[in-house]
Amino acid sequence: MPSAQPSPTELGEPDLILVRYGELALKKGNRGEFEKALVRNLRQALASTTKAEVDRQHGRILIRPERRCEKAAKRAAEVFGVKTVSPAWTVASDTEAITAQAAKLLESALAARGQSEPVSFRVRVRRANKAFPLNSSELERHVAERILPGPDTVRVQLVNPEMTLGIEVRDRNTFLFLDRIEGNGGLPVGTLGRALCLLSGGIDSPVASWLAMKRGLHMGYVSFHSAPYIGEGFRRKVREVVRNLGRWQYKAPLFTVPFADIQVAIRDQTPERYRTVLYRRMMQRIAERLATAENCGALVTGECLGQVASQTLENLTCIEAATSLPVLRPVLTYDKEEIIQIARRIGTFDISIQPEPDCCTVFQPNRPVIRGRVKDCLAAEAQMDVEGLMQRALDGTEMELLDHEGGA
Amino acid sequence: MVYAPMTTVYLDNAATTPLAEPVREALAPFLGEEFGNPSSRHALGVRAAEALTRARTQVARALGGQASEVAFTSGGTEANNMAVLGAARARKKQGAQILLGATEHPSVRAAGEALSAEGFEVQTIPLDETGNLDLQVAEALLTPETVVVAQMLVNNEVGTIYPVAKLARLARKYSPQVHMHTDAVQGLGKLALDLDQLGVDSCSVSAHKVHGLKGTGALVTRPGTRLQPLIFGGGQQGGVRPGTENVVGAVAFGAAAQMADDRCEQTYEHAAGLRAQLDNGLKTLSGISLLEAGTERMPSICSLLVPGAPAEVWQHHLEARGVFVSVGSACQSNDSSVSPALLALGLDAERARRVLRLSFSALTTSEEVQIALDALESLAPELEDLS
Repeated sequence: MPSAQPSPTELGEPDLILVRYGELALKKGNRGEFEKALVRNLRQALASTTKAEVDRQHGRILIRPERRCEKAAKRAAEVFGVKTVSPAWTVASDTEAITAQAAKLLESALAARGQSEPVSFRVRVRRANKAFPLNSSELERHVAERILPGPDTVRVQLVNPEMTLGIEVRDRNTFLFLDRIEGNGGLPVGTLGRALCLLSGGIDSPVASWLAMKRGLHMGYVSFHSAPYIGEGFRRKVREVVRNLGRWQYKAPLFTVPFADIQVAIRDQTPERYRTVLYRRMMQRIAERLATAENCGALVTGECLGQVASQTLENLTCIEAATSLPVLRPVLTYDKEEIIQIARRIGTFDISIQPEPDCCTVFQPNRPVIRGRVKDCLAAEAQMDVEGLMQRALDGTEMELLDHEGGA
Repeated sequence: MVYAPMTTVYLDNAATTPLAEPVREALAPFLGEEFGNPSSRHALGVRAAEALTRARTQVARALGGQASEVAFTSGGTEANNMAVLGAARARKKQGAQILLGATEHPSVRAAGEALSAEGFEVQTIPLDETGNLDLQVAEALLTPETVVVAQMLVNNEVGTIYPVAKLARLARKYSPQVHMHTDAVQGLGKLALDLDQLGVDSCSVSAHKVHGLKGTGALVTRPGTRLQPLIFGGGQQGGVRPGTENVVGAVAFGAAAQMADDRCEQTYEHAAGLRAQLDNGLKTLSGISLLEAGTERMPSICSLLVPGAPAEVWQHHLEARGVFVSVGSACQSNDSSVSPALLALGLDAERARRVLRLSFSALTTSEEVQIALDALESLAPELEDLS
């Protein structure tokens, strides 16, 4: 039984967010660069929640938010590269102060839990301050002995306990925490270079972009707009998608390419069955030009094998043959349901299903080719002025920089 | 810009209208120094209350009613909800049958669905094949149990003017306690409206269809009308629709309603001239025809049937030439989303996708109609053969 319990007083809001990052630690060569990117991305992400100081320290990132600590912690957990976060309380690095705060934390957690079976519990200390008088296991024992209320409520269990009280001892300050919020994982956006995502109006391409960002790519977007066959509503929808994806990448360029003339030319000058494949080949060519100008090393698409009848290996081959850049297809092997699940989670689903079509029905072929051949594509394109059409489309292309807050 | 028209020809006035300059002038003080709460007992509040009363009088006058019978709402939707739900719920003990017009606005139809879930029996008064209200069927449907009849005055898609007064007389013949409601949102400012002549107990109107502000409408009721309120609060507007009044919107609506009513005959004649001009112009344009639905029609609402490409494609091509219109049914919509008004006229989903609506206001000019005609003519070769 503990001999003396510090008298618990009210537990305030946490004042600090402890951010742990996973994979980064493995990247020995450019770890510093990765950490810097993560700090930068965290700062940008938090801007929409609260003012906050973000610093690196001893293999952690520490966030001191001005207010809304719990919300800020959830926001930080979304940032790619973050493994887990913990809202924490700061006390002086002094055994008595640590013990007192630990008691308050445990008491408040037990109160929130209500009456039930005894909870399995442990204290885990991480000590960066090697000058601290107690070593890690001594401090763990010291705190546990003094704060445990009794076996009816709390039962010590060192392996896989339900509740872990974390204590990180630094030179002057010590951080205490109970919760760990799982982060999105991945790598900080921007650390693996840049890519250009072809955004259609559908559910798949925003998910593809999100997955690419998750692996550290900084995204730009290109969308093809068949005005005046379709309306401005489509552009509004695409902007909304890009702004929403800005939760993971604060700012992104969106290129809008006028595409009607190209569709008219393909419709009037090439075999009907090849239309869809030829539209996409033109899109990839234009995207490649924009990507090169923007220092993007790859294209990202929402293509998914077999999702519609014409998404075959043969047709993908035809489409990819139009570009020399690598084409990344993060959702290539996903089932529609899996894609929808992510789309819902990242908030793009409800935008994607708005009835703003990306392509006018008058351009759709009756029976699209299923097993296209590259040489047939080339023969069809020989009938049109590919370079001229492309140049005119690029001349009419508009770029806008969109951020998450709704500014331009 | 993907498109950058030099001029804007706005022919979508059934959707909304631009704010009129005199209305803007009338509301300006209420965005500035006249910010009082009409319920406050000091001078600032009293002035706001007076402005509100004046606005109420102006709206009432446009409908041949009294200021005390005007409840300002957030718009036509709320006014329709208030009337249909409020009247039915207040008459629960008298009967459980509701009759709704075939082409009612979603705010009436959805209120009907809500009542149906509460145990009311909701039936529809159909249109006949010419687009007229089928009064014979209506007569057959009416019973002493009928507690609410709601029938719009002017169809917002094809412009048919329905014989609300006749229907009201029939309704009262079979059910003396019936609440007769009309949605006159598309009628205000073009028809001389009068609650007594229409024979209705309540009438919905909306400010932004007559050059006022969006977010303001009104339900005008006859004295003694029983309505169960939808919202509860501090007793403003006689408790029928509590909440601190939207003074700016009401003042704007008052000014707009007065202007609209003062000029309603000229506006109607003006629109009739524009419709004749459109009709004449279309005669030389093969393939585009004017939909004529019902015997009496509001000339400010003209629906065209276009050939070839879906109406949505025509719409965006017109837009690229600066002409703003609307469509009856979107490209990707299915049968179930085709509006009942178009279905009632015998249009299937395929034909409904070919309906283009041009609608005029008092501010529409004959030059603008000519620009639209020219644009249609120049687009025809490009679009009429597409499918």
